[in-house]
Amino acid sequence: MTAVSDRDDISSLVAEATDNRVNIDFESEGMTLNMGPQHPATHGTLRIVAKLDGEQVISAEPICGYMHRGYEKIVEVRTYPQINALINRIDWLGSFANEVPFILAAEKLMGVEAPPRAQWIRTILFEMSRVANISLFLGDFGLQLGGMTAGFYAFRDREFVLNQIEAATGGRFHPNFDRIGGLKDDLPKGWISDSQVAMDKLLAFCDEMENLLVGNEIFQSRTRGIGVIPADVALSYGLSGANLRASGVDWDLRRDSCPPGLVYDQADWKVWTHPDGDAFARTWVRLQETREAAKIVKQLLTTIPAGPVMAKVPRIIKVPEGEAYVATENPLGEMGYYIVSKGDLVPFRVKIRSASFNNISVLPWVARGAYVPDLISILGSLYFILGDIDR
Amino acid sequence: MGLVESGKLPKPLAKLLNISRKYSIWAYQWGLACCAIEMGAAFASPRYDVMRLGVIPFPASPRQADLVVIAGTVTDKLAPAVVRLYEQMPDPKYVISMGSCANCGGPYWDSYSVTKGVDQLIPVDVYVPGCPPRPEALLEGIILLQERIAHEDMAERWKGDPIVIG
Amino acid sequence: MIRLSSADTTETEAATAAETPIVDERREALLAEFTARLGEGVLGSHIRAGDDLWIRVDRSVWRETAETAKAMGYVFFDYVSAIDWLPSPFGRDMDAQEDLIVSGTPAKEVGPMTHGYAGGETRFQIIARLYSLADGMGIHFKTDVPDDDLTAPTWTSVFAGSNWHEREVMEMFGISFAGHPNMINMYLPTDFQGHPMRKDFPLLARRVRPWPGIVDVEPMPGGAIDDEEGESE
Ligand code: SF4
Repeated sequence: MTAVSDRDDISSLVAEATDNRVNIDFESEGMTLNMGPQHPATHGTLRIVAKLDGEQVISAEPICGYMHRGYEKIVEVRTYPQINALINRIDWLGSFANEVPFILAAEKLMGVEAPPRAQWIRTILFEMSRVANISLFLGDFGLQLGGMTAGFYAFRDREFVLNQIEAATGGRFHPNFDRIGGLKDDLPKGWISDSQVAMDKLLAFCDEMENLLVGNEIFQSRTRGIGVIPADVALSYGLSGANLRASGVDWDLRRDSCPPGLVYDQADWKVWTHPDGDAFARTWVRLQETREAAKIVKQLLTTIPAGPVMAKVPRIIKVPEGEAYVATENPLGEMGYYIVSKGDLVPFRVKIRSASFNNISVLPWVARGAYVPDLISILGSLYFILGDIDR
Repeated sequence: MGLVESGKLPKPLAKLLNISRKYSIWAYQWGLACCAIEMGAAFASPRYDVMRLGVIPFPASPRQADLVVIAGTVTDKLAPAVVRLYEQMPDPKYVISMGSCANCGGPYWDSYSVTKGVDQLIPVDVYVPGCPPRPEALLEGIILLQERIAHEDMAERWKGDPIVIG
Repeated sequence: MIRLSSADTTETEAATAAETPIVDERREALLAEFTARLGEGVLGSHIRAGDDLWIRVDRSVWRETAETAKAMGYVFFDYVSAIDWLPSPFGRDMDAQEDLIVSGTPAKEVGPMTHGYAGGETRFQIIARLYSLADGMGIHFKTDVPDDDLTAPTWTSVFAGSNWHEREVMEMFGISFAGHPNMINMYLPTDFQGHPMRKDFPLLARRVRPWPGIVDVEPMPGGAIDDEEGESE
């Protein structure tokens, strides 16, 4: 496969491959390849039914629902604090990041605002969960492309972040730390300096990954020019996060419409984009994003204001009638909650707009005309968490 | 293995066989949801390092595995695949159910699409509670399973019904 | 805005009073433009100043709405979903009703159906959100779907991403989309009965065993037992 960086060339190739069936001499009935529902390289269980002509994919249709847990229904019978504990588990690699938009939406309806110290710590933990999430992506993507080593490195260094999250929240994985009106607790003693050290380690990890994975020749030849998504397609499928930025769209919710309650404007950081839109670009953007996240954390750690971490809220939380949508830039992309409240203990309806659902819906489009081994690159680089697709 | 099936294995030999089985468990990881990541941390990370317990976590297919770790939420749509996977494994086979979801439905106990406990589908040997259980907890579950294998009467295991701990 | 915290009541009230007259000119202009382009199609709207805009359109112009929005720069597709406005007969506070009914007490009355922002007439409403990267604003669109004809025009020709979302709405609410290329279940097995997100779909596990969270604080164990334990120790 030639490394064609020009997007037009690729899309015309794709069109040709699909329309004329390049292997016309060996025209066959085609073959159906069933990947999954169990696949060692994916988080959770996604099944892909690919129709092949020789080595080429004619169509690939993901079949979801193997992890459908019915969030939107069961949150209708849970109170707001209970929901907070539940929604951690949507994107299970960046758990804290799931809580924040929900809490912010509820706060918006209630008209409550968290005190500055809580906002700072929220942002720090948010970015830490981004680091924890994407560092695993880097290792896992390496694993999928045959580089086991990256996986071990990622699991090793990820522990440093998890330790910090655990020290602050008590949960390695599912912190359930955010509250309407603030945070459950203040930071423990010595946490700030420990976190600085952990973030330094993670920055070193990023450098390591850059050499080990992104700089690797095999990795490059397996990702460059593979799975190109042009910007307009990305927008109409609602791709968000690094997938969108890798297609050259300079848009980041943290910078462009940061909801009140997060303090990204207090740090000096940069949004990275890449013009190519291929699997390599997506990995590269994510790598830079991890770096930036670590930098944001390092900066915010030095400026945490003093004060309480909890605003005054009633003990029994009833959210006044109304509707609100709040979205934040989660590790996987835009995650938003649309809450319809009827002034009750429980929400009337919660629509969860999760990033992976949109991100992975582009797969049938982008996989058309690709080769079977490239399907793994494409799927891996789109980066999904199954809980985030199926909810 | 005619001797084993007939139950006439001499005691020392049975013991030897059990010890060797105990330290050569091929574990198939079936990560389904959040717990999969903690299982990954236990199995693949240098920090927890399951191989020191004599567990080899990378069989290519369930047909080569002695142990399957069901880590995560089992949904009704997935249930047939779970059963099929279990049937593909060669005897003697063991199942660890990891996390509240696999044990009993966990936080999704009232959901319309979640199977409330994988033990409704296949016999489970060790339940590891937690949401998610820490990697250490999974390691302890594996040690418990190894103890159980060490004291097992193999003839019974191979002839009779699967043992289910309540 | 309603503030629930009782602290600084006077200040808060003053702030609320000052906030109210703020007019969100950008969103007003946007709404005006939509009304101009869609004419009769716009049935209702709601603006929360500085935050969000809701527009309710007629079902017949649902696809034109997407086209208009796309032409106006609202190119980022967020989601399509639906809301069932029926007050739930099986809600959280209704769990204990099973016991009431068994003991002969009549069940609690279900309140009347009320709609959210931008109004509504029917039980089911489709809701969608589009976002403009240039404006940095999003719009929520709503449309009513009458009970006797649960269909709506599809958006797939305008926003390819709505394909999966519409499949999800179909399976969760039973609203189908005319012109959709592949209207099959998204999540559930094909033999699943019912549409789970409808309010009258019961969560059976709860009806067998009521939600334990209803008892917020468990009663303390009997005092006598406590004493005995104390003595024996
Ligand atoms: S038990 Fe908890 S952590 Fe494990 S899969 Fe279920 S929800 Fe996720």
